[in-house]
Amino acid sequence: MCRTGHQSDPPEADDEMASDAAFTALLEDSAEELYESAPCGYLSTLMDGTIAKVNATLLGWLGLEREAVVGRMRFTDLLTVGGKLYHETHFAPLLRMQGRISGIALEVKQTGGARMPVLVSSVVKHGSTGEPLLIRTTVFDARDRRAYEEELLRGRKAAEEAHRQAEADRARLQDALAVLQQSLLPATLPPVPGVETAAHYHTAHPDRLGGDFYDVFPVDGKRFAFFLGDVCGKGPQAAAVTSLTRYTLRAAAVHDSDPVSALTTLNKVLHERYAGSGDPRYCTAVFGTLEPDPGTGQVAIHLASGGHPPVLVLRADGTTDFLPTPGGLLVGILPSAPFVTATTVLDPGDTLLLYTDGLTEARTGEDRDSLYGYEALLAFAAGQAGKPPHAVIQALIGLLDGFGDGLDDDTALLALGAPAPGPATKNAP
Amino acid sequence: MSPLKVTTRDAETGPVLEIVGELDYANAGELRDLLATITLQPGQRFVVDLSRMEFCDSSGITALIAAHSLAQEAQADIVLAGVPANTLRILRIVGLDQIFTLYPDRDSAVRSLDERR
Repeated sequence: MCRTGHQSDPPEADDEMASDAAFTALLEDSAEELYESAPCGYLSTLMDGTIAKVNATLLGWLGLEREAVVGRMRFTDLLTVGGKLYHETHFAPLLRMQGRISGIALEVKQTGGARMPVLVSSVVKHGSTGEPLLIRTTVFDARDRRAYEEELLRGRKAAEEAHRQAEADRARLQDALAVLQQSLLPATLPPVPGVETAAHYHTAHPDRLGGDFYDVFPVDGKRFAFFLGDVCGKGPQAAAVTSLTRYTLRAAAVHDSDPVSALTTLNKVLHERYAGSGDPRYCTAVFGTLEPDPGTGQVAIHLASGGHPPVLVLRADGTTDFLPTPGGLLVGILPSAPFVTATTVLDPGDTLLLYTDGLTEARTGEDRDSLYGYEALLAFAAGQAGKPPHAVIQALIGLLDGFGDGLDDDTALLALGAPAPGPATKNAP
Repeated sequence: MSPLKVTTRDAETGPVLEIVGELDYANAGELRDLLATITLQPGQRFVVDLSRMEFCDSSGITALIAAHSLAQEAQADIVLAGVPANTLRILRIVGLDQIFTLYPDRDSAVRSLDERR
């Protein structure tokens, strides 16, 4: 679009000859006119940069008179400080080396102090013996293009800002989720003198707040309370019930650590909170107390169950059995509910195992009814009898891992044991 | 996998709801929506026939509890008929066998109320 050469495309048809002749004449007549008022700036300089020729378009952009420019200014005098630097370090060396350079973005100074973005291309004209004679330069107006680029940059910045904001929001939500998750489960179990404890929580979905819960905490000088359970449903609503359940049981135990009283309080709280809400929520739970006897090394267990699968007792002598609590009702579905108690004494080396039904309802076959079940669990537990709680939990973690995709529900495990006489006792988290 | 199909009919004793197929997390909502459309009169018997139910998970149990609440609010009686063995085992563990009256099948559930009258 800036070529100054003659346009002499042949006519397409004879009957257009007349108008074509006029067209050609017009072009030939206007070569100088085209140079002067072309839609781009033209500039010829000596090899040292002194401006020898410049067209009116460029003078108009610069706001300068021809007399002030030709023979008096160098090309770099037209550029901004940054443009001068770029010219010296990149533009001029490349031009000398290659004999041409094109499409370089620079800024020229306008009178009045404004800067005008331009795209500059130059070629060196050589003499018949190959010596460089002068530099021909075209200057394109890049204001629209710059505005468009700035628009793109602004758009990209806005997108980056939105992305950054989304990432920050996500991080904040993850932090909040982690704090809430911690409120659902104890980070570690407290040391219980004369008792070994171990627990495990298997999360079926890492980003889904859990519905199973457990805890161990002191109730008075010599007794500790423990509980483990399962809230119906999944997700944040279930997690809210889990949190309410955990703190209700802890608070109830401070008031009265009798297991039936604690579950009765929880039943009342859940029923009042959720029964009339159109979204009934309930849970299964085992709540109990531990009373270690430092003299004998025995631990007395007193527990109650509300709709929860029976706990297991693994004896040091190898016998293993459920501690049945039939008839205890789900917690929270009726204004008042029956809860069934059971007691046992752990001799040194015995372990009490609490679990949620994620374990017994893990699928072991293609059929939805092929579940791991209570008989298999009893047999597995019997194989662990005599081991300390952390070893029992480790074995169960191995069992859970073996279920693979068959384990599609959260699973909580809690083992409480009377330490066998021997060297070490410890509390695993 | 067989999808859930729920049908209702009215017996002399009250509505009879039959659950066929699998009652689980994916479709227990259907049953709960349907429960909202059932009207119970005081003294009626609401029979839930489970004899052709093939699977029931905890969401299914929740839907059954919702049916129980519905009957209680209407001062009606609710009974489960033909509970499959697997589900019966779960109902026993969670103690629900105490709050639902259980009948071996639908006919005995409907008949026993007639005899009481």
